[in-house]
Amino acid sequence: MNPNTSLSYLDQSADVKARFDRINQRETILEVRNLGKRFRSQQGEVEALRGINFSVRRREFVCVIGPSGCGKSTLIRILAGLESHTSGDVLLDGKPVKGPGQDRGMVFQGYSLFPWLTVKKNVMFGPQMNGRSHDEAERDARLWLDLVGLDKFADAYPHQLSGGMRQRVAIARALVNQPRILLMDEPFGALDAQTRAKMQSHLIDIWKNIDVTVLFITHDLDEAIYLADRILVLKAHPGEVQEVIEVPVPRPRTPAQFNSPEFRATKARLEELIHPAPEPESEDEQAVQPHLIRFTNVMDNVE
Amino acid sequence: MNVKHISSTLKTLFTRLILPAAAALSISAHAAQPLKIGYSDWPGWVAWQVAIDKGWFKEAGVPVTFEWFDYSASMDAFAAGKIDAVTMTNGDALVTGAAGGKSVMVMLTDYSNGNDMIIGKPGVRSIKDLKGKKVAVEMGFVEHLLLLNGLKKAGMKESDVTLVNAKTNEMPQMLASGDVVAIGAWQPIAGQTMKSVPGARPIYTSADEPGLIYDVLAVNPASAKQRRADWIKVVKVWDRVVKYINDPKTQPDAVKIMAARVGVSPETYLPLLKGTRLLSLDEAKKIYVKGDGFKTLYGSSKIADEFNVANDVYKSPQDLDSYLDASFTNAK
Amino acid sequence: MSLIAKLTDSETRKRALLGIGSFLLPLLVWSLVSYVPFIWHPKVEVTVPGGVDYFQVGMLVDRVQFEDEVAYAREQHLALPAGKPANPIYLPAPHEVAKAFYTGFTKPPVQKDAPWLHESLWHSIQIIFWGFLISSLIGVPLGILAGTYTTFARLSEPFIEYFRYLPAPAFGALAVAILGIYDGPKIAIIVIGTLFQQVLIIANTTRKLEATIIEAARTLGARGVKLLTKVVVPGILPDLYRDQRILLGWAWTYLIVAELIGTSSGITFYITQQARYQHFDNVYAAIMIIGIIGFGTDLILGGLGRRLFPWDRAQDRR
Ligand SMILES: Nc1ncnc2c1ncn2[C@@H]1O[C@H](COP(=O)(O)OP(=O)(O)O)[C@@H](O)[C@H]1O
Ligand SMILES: [Mg+2]
Repeated sequence: MNPNTSLSYLDQSADVKARFDRINQRETILEVRNLGKRFRSQQGEVEALRGINFSVRRREFVCVIGPSGCGKSTLIRILAGLESHTSGDVLLDGKPVKGPGQDRGMVFQGYSLFPWLTVKKNVMFGPQMNGRSHDEAERDARLWLDLVGLDKFADAYPHQLSGGMRQRVAIARALVNQPRILLMDEPFGALDAQTRAKMQSHLIDIWKNIDVTVLFITHDLDEAIYLADRILVLKAHPGEVQEVIEVPVPRPRTPAQFNSPEFRATKARLEELIHPAPEPESEDEQAVQPHLIRFTNVMDNVE
Repeated sequence: MNVKHISSTLKTLFTRLILPAAAALSISAHAAQPLKIGYSDWPGWVAWQVAIDKGWFKEAGVPVTFEWFDYSASMDAFAAGKIDAVTMTNGDALVTGAAGGKSVMVMLTDYSNGNDMIIGKPGVRSIKDLKGKKVAVEMGFVEHLLLLNGLKKAGMKESDVTLVNAKTNEMPQMLASGDVVAIGAWQPIAGQTMKSVPGARPIYTSADEPGLIYDVLAVNPASAKQRRADWIKVVKVWDRVVKYINDPKTQPDAVKIMAARVGVSPETYLPLLKGTRLLSLDEAKKIYVKGDGFKTLYGSSKIADEFNVANDVYKSPQDLDSYLDASFTNAK
Repeated sequence: MSLIAKLTDSETRKRALLGIGSFLLPLLVWSLVSYVPFIWHPKVEVTVPGGVDYFQVGMLVDRVQFEDEVAYAREQHLALPAGKPANPIYLPAPHEVAKAFYTGFTKPPVQKDAPWLHESLWHSIQIIFWGFLISSLIGVPLGILAGTYTTFARLSEPFIEYFRYLPAPAFGALAVAILGIYDGPKIAIIVIGTLFQQVLIIANTTRKLEATIIEAARTLGARGVKLLTKVVVPGILPDLYRDQRILLGWAWTYLIVAELIGTSSGITFYITQQARYQHFDNVYAAIMIIGIIGFGTDLILGGLGRRLFPWDRAQDRR
């Protein structure tokens, strides 16, 4: 029997286990207790989240994964204070979250930079909103732009940057406020594979060097395993925590680990959780019935 | 709130607030404030332009400012109390008065002598040809009255024709459309109608019933009372205007001034003048007397009043005596 | 970049040519209709009245009617009328309009103390300026508030939606009663005509601001008035500017009624008066002046917009 195939995602090497022990000794930054969210819409009530429980330790990297529509964005938006919850508690450093605050930074998937501000001014925005002087804000902005490698683009406008560079600015803009936790909602979802890989390594570098905790949402299994200490797996309708997986892949992580047994075992488990049987199609999808007519010569085959 | 004068108005306001003494000044200035008269595009009223351009009011020692309006806008401004006097028809003076803009007709300027017309399409030659047909008029306005008058003379009744209500401005298109056989309009719209429907001709005009429509200078009653002497001077200037226009030697100059006011060539304007019978003071005195029928302003106004009530322009008859005061015209 | 370098850029040149073409084409159509007799010319201009009693030299008659009269005259052995094909009076030829345009600016007004054409025009421009300014001072903040705060929108928009259907000119008499007979009521009509549309349009523009941008700002610590002034306003500014350019064009369309309220004045009153006496060459000349002013202003504002909002990418697409 090949030990590689029999390896379970639950098996942790001694190093990894020791690391989790260290993490678990750190203080809790974020605690979510019995969180529920219902949306009232014209079609009736939608229960987006139900009974969500988890906590995040300081400087931990947690990924949230789940099928589309399972409530990932709703969850992170509640944490950011952009959305209210209907039941349960969200505690940051033991205090309940009420509205957005500079103790939580957020990076969105979409285009969230201020298009009318230069890169530097985008980063200065947070400090200035929080009462810092122009000069202080500018100094901080320069520092963080340097950290994400964009000091040369300080005076460019966002539309002049590539997608990857924009997300770097967004990260710098969120971190300049020195938040306790960085919330990221599929931040690299719109990037091409190469840029995305670069950004992942870059994010890990940043995380290693500064005192920040990361809650990262993705629907990309590889990304989740590559980045996370723990992965929170959600299921849909209603959104509930299915499992919390401690990623057995040792750190420091490298792209070479994508083929390691731990990685593959974890991925196999995630796949099992996320795509069990083929889900029934939604009504909308069923309504779409392609009716293909042949437009080419019958002899002109492509396969 | 004249744009050009906003800042100066503010400044004036400021100094007036600061210096109460200035308020006293402004009261004495009030007495000499120019009479504000609204006039519009009708030959009998454009005639005032002659006196304005020649500076005759200054010579007569009466300060006036004439403001050029669209006709209905001028009545609105008068009704709102924004001008001291306005030129209008005697019938419209009653209509405006019934709606709250009471006035005293201090003088007659003219009567329509053909400038108000019922125009038939080609082939329609007389009022009799209208029997059983559709005729467009602006109901409650002077052409409606003119039509009724014409029908009566031809021994017919209002019910002998089908009236179609339309805006006077739209009469050229009404007749051209062929839906009606005749329309009622005044100049210059009447001329426009005949130009756009060649062969159309007037079948009944105000020349057939002189005095059906008198044009007057209607003055705010308060101003008429307080500034009586000034208004009498204005009336006197009018006499000079009529003489200047009627004198063949000076007429070309007068027509040039009038044509310039409305922005056309003198040749275009001359025919319009012909349809208006300007009234000198002596002529006006003979008309501004008590009497019945169209020969007097009293009679004409009475007919207009009855017409207005009959057509629901307003509900109850107006007290004509409050509108009519010949003393300005008769003043020595 | 020097102007010449810009012009030699072939893309720009192509664009300029198309721009000129978009003006030349209608002019060509107009010229064809005016100068080529068989294209339209539904009328006959009488040159010899002949035996027809109501014909006069220079009168425009329908072609059918003219032929009728000719046939009738022939039958009756009357002198035959003559005429040449002509367009209706409301379609003057380009050269007539060009001439009216030229004389309008070069010939002093016949009437003493009457304003020159350019003075009338300047007066109108001032009316538009003040009307639009006042409308914007009220409408832009209201629009932004309604676009930002749902409560405010629900409170204000139903009434505004209703009011914008009321015809602005109908308030003429009221405006005169309150504001006098000079420029006040005219400015008021422009304001009434523009304001309500403005609030709705700007509210809509405000609503279209990317929600993520506002949320990002909130997570960075912006709230309340600062969120409005530092995020919402700059965020919509290029679109707001574009809206304002369009609304300014609308304001001009209200001028024609505004200038008939109170004392008659300005360029559109000139148009109304000239149309009443059927001087359509002058009418078209004046209409063109308005067109030139409006189009010119918009070009300038467009150029200014590109400078003011270097980040606005919608502008590149035009
Ligand atoms: N504002 C809202 N109103 C009503 N339903 C919503 C709203 N936002 C999200 N939902 C619903 O909540 C569920 C979770 O959405 P979301 O959190 O965006 O999912 P994910 O980010 O995992 O794709 C979905 O069924 C979605 O339709
Ligand atoms: Mg999502």
